Amino acid sequence: MFDPFALPFFQRGIVEILLLASVSGLLGVWIVLRGLAFYAHAVGTAAVPGLVLADGLGFSAIFGAFGAALVMAALIALLLRRRSVGGDSATAIVLAGALALGVILASDVFGSQGSVDRLLFGSLLAIGTPELVLAAVAALAAAAATAILGPRWLAAGFTDRNGNSDSLLIALIALAAVAALAAVGALLATAILVVPAATTRLIIKRLPAWQLTTAALAAAEGVIGMILAYQLNVPPGAAIAVLAGIVFALVAVAVLIHQRRPRLAPLALTLLGLSALAVAGCGSDDGGEASSSKITVAATTTQVGDLVREVGGDAVTVKQILTPNSEAHDYEPRPNDVGAVAASKIVFASGLGLDAWSTKLVKESGSEAEVVDLSSGLPVSHATGEGEAHADEKEGEEHGETDPHWWHDLTNLEAATTEVETALIAADPAAKDQITANADAYRAKIKKVDEQIRACLNKVPANERLIVTDHDAFVYFTERYGVTSKGAVFPSTSTQGQASAGEVAALEKLIREEKVKAIFPESSLNPALAERIASDTGASSDYTLYGDTLGAADSPEGTVLGAEAANAKAMVAGMTGGKERCTIES
Amino acid sequence: MHDRVLSGEPLVRSNRLAARYPGASVPAISSITFAVEAGQRVALLGPNGGGKSTLFRAITGELAPSSGELELGVGHPALVPQSERSRLDYPVSALDVALMGSVSRLPWWRRPSRADRALARESLRRVGLEDETNTTFGELSGGQRQRVLVARALVQDSPLLLLDEPFAGIDAPSAELLAALFDQLAAEGRGLLMATHDIEQARSWDLVLCCNRVQIAFGDPAQVLTREVIERTYGSSLVPLPGDESLAITPPHHHDHFEADR
Ligand SMILES: Nc1ncnc2c1ncn2[C@@H]1O[C@H](COP(=O)(O)OP(=O)(O)O)[C@@H](O)[C@H]1O
Ligand SMILES: [Mg+2]
Repeated sequence: MFDPFALPFFQRGIVEILLLASVSGLLGVWIVLRGLAFYAHAVGTAAVPGLVLADGLGFSAIFGAFGAALVMAALIALLLRRRSVGGDSATAIVLAGALALGVILASDVFGSQGSVDRLLFGSLLAIGTPELVLAAVAALAAAAATAILGPRWLAAGFTDRNGNSDSLLIALIALAAVAALAAVGALLATAILVVPAATTRLIIKRLPAWQLTTAALAAAEGVIGMILAYQLNVPPGAAIAVLAGIVFALVAVAVLIHQRRPRLAPLALTLLGLSALAVAGCGSDDGGEASSSKITVAATTTQVGDLVREVGGDAVTVKQILTPNSEAHDYEPRPNDVGAVAASKIVFASGLGLDAWSTKLVKESGSEAEVVDLSSGLPVSHATGEGEAHADEKEGEEHGETDPHWWHDLTNLEAATTEVETALIAADPAAKDQITANADAYRAKIKKVDEQIRACLNKVPANERLIVTDHDAFVYFTERYGVTSKGAVFPSTSTQGQASAGEVAALEKLIREEKVKAIFPESSLNPALAERIASDTGASSDYTLYGDTLGAADSPEGTVLGAEAANAKAMVAGMTGGKERCTIES
Repeated sequence: MHDRVLSGEPLVRSNRLAARYPGASVPAISSITFAVEAGQRVALLGPNGGGKSTLFRAITGELAPSSGELELGVGHPALVPQSERSRLDYPVSALDVALMGSVSRLPWWRRPSRADRALARESLRRVGLEDETNTTFGELSGGQRQRVLVARALVQDSPLLLLDEPFAGIDAPSAELLAALFDQLAAEGRGLLMATHDIEQARSWDLVLCCNRVQIAFGDPAQVLTREVIERTYGSSLVPLPGDESLAITPPHHHDHFEADR
């Protein structure tokens, strides 16, 4: 393994976390002192509608988030004018409104939410110039405001417990929350902005010292969290949040013991600290792999990983970024992923927006890898929503986007095999013979499975081949084998769409009228709504499909061909009420 | 009741003032007519919930009058709040708190200067806390905290001081020190309005304002503080204590007793 500090993406992450640590030191104390922690959390989360607007109308996400945060701050201030509304209630009211607006904008106005989610889960490993600039602006503004207005804020908080009246402080916290949002995501922003100040509060009793210690603690937690994240291969935002929580707990316990039995405190703190270090150390002996002459390539999704392994065989080392059952849309990179991408000669991407983060990942990792988008040049393509027969018969073409689940049509998989073959040979000409042999064998296997799936589905009369799925991920499959999809539980191709009550009712009516026998939950989604609809309509929801992700690595469904075979078997069993079964050899 | 002819410019003057909290159906105080002049010590008597703190809030502008007039003379009044409201867990030293007094005098972009710090130290010295300047506020005794709050008001350098029960629950040395300081401040020409429960102390001041949601009386304590006025002020009967010239009052049973409107 290599020194993380030598990697550009790691360096940028460190700079970003240090900037945010100074914001945390300067503003965190005011957040804690003025009881604004919930506001700080909410103002970041409430950026959703701003992000959706920015995504939909095509302006900068950071402006969208900050704009939404400012509007939220203004609304809270307005509500607070009415003294009958308490600070946290006002915040909760506005937050709920903002989230609802975000959902409506995302599902009903703009129709897609994929990239919005990615912003809600920022990553310290994917810090670009805009994020750095934003954090620097937040740090400078916080420093200037504290220098000039600090005494005033201090005096105001002393006389008035609910000091929500300083609009500049409120706006600065909004700016800080948005900066933290870009770095660690909305859910963990408070771990950076609030927890360090709350921790040092337990020990430090005076203001400038409190700010300095907080900044130092936040910086230490940030840097150590980054290093731990790198060694344990977990997302850094989560590592920092957990670390901050542990430090807070340790300090709180030590302070408690100190108050009860002063002489035991240092001992207890040392013991707790040592055990924490031991825990950290346990996972860190994750040694490097023996380097060989093999070339290393990265694959974004489980399907692409399987394909590249089939074609590359022993000639290449494949680093696969997504794991089975993780959701392509809300992925947050882990340090090893970035390291893997940085070390790769080629990054194979699935494309069509499914793994849009891969481009940024490659760029921020400082990798020179060539990105091969397997979705370019596929023989078969379908628009999103095509083949979907919603109750309201709305035209799926309205987005004009191509459905990204192309591998469910095995002719596409065959074409992608050839693309992978060409790219690998170009990268490692010495392994040409081996790679060509692998590719030939795989193409033959694809053909065999394709024929068996067709034979299997032909056991069901064409007019009974009706299915309802969780989300519209199967148009490539249904179109190829003459299956009719009658609709989806989640209306848009993204798994983030939310079904409205009317849509669910329409879908249930359709299932009854068309005598659809089965609804197919998807392995990576929460089956609750599918099961609800199934029990309402008497359809079965017993058969699971592999849509966005493959099964576990060592299961039969852990390969694309295994998953497609399983999908075919599940559909046949579901459509015939379990009467027909078939076997497919892959 | 007692319409005094006022000489000079009063530091604060009200005429049939009433003030109501947002959402409340009836005013917390009404019919308040009084004035405080430079150099005058005015005691404000009233039961718990009688509206003493509310009157201070009206004078500082925190609560707008709902009817009547309220006029302020030069300068913003300095308030020494009821100490139960100040935060013991606040991360500040005695000096920091005293220095807060300068903030209200300065334009928003100015930080307290060296001169302001010197004034804060001097004010702490006047309240006898020159040795505690760096002690955390919450670690001081109740009487010391009260003195720090008085020092903060001194730093504001206001001609009118509003003292909300400054003697409540403090130690005897602090009380003596403050009593002497208040006399001194009046002698310097400042006006003092002090809420108190101590009728004997009120007798020794220049004027007394009795208030139980409405004004009961205002004037010279020697004339105003009759048994009838005190009874109406406290809403309870007076019992003569054996061996004592003064009158004792049976205290109200509960604070909420007077909060019928909430
Ligand atoms: N912030 C507030 N909002 C609404 N009512 C209040 C508020 N503060 C005090 N009151 C009410 O105003 C009345 C006078 O209270 P206050 O001025 O605090 O009395 P005192 O200081 O004489 O004990 C009481 O009935 C009290 O309940
Ligand atoms: Mg009071």
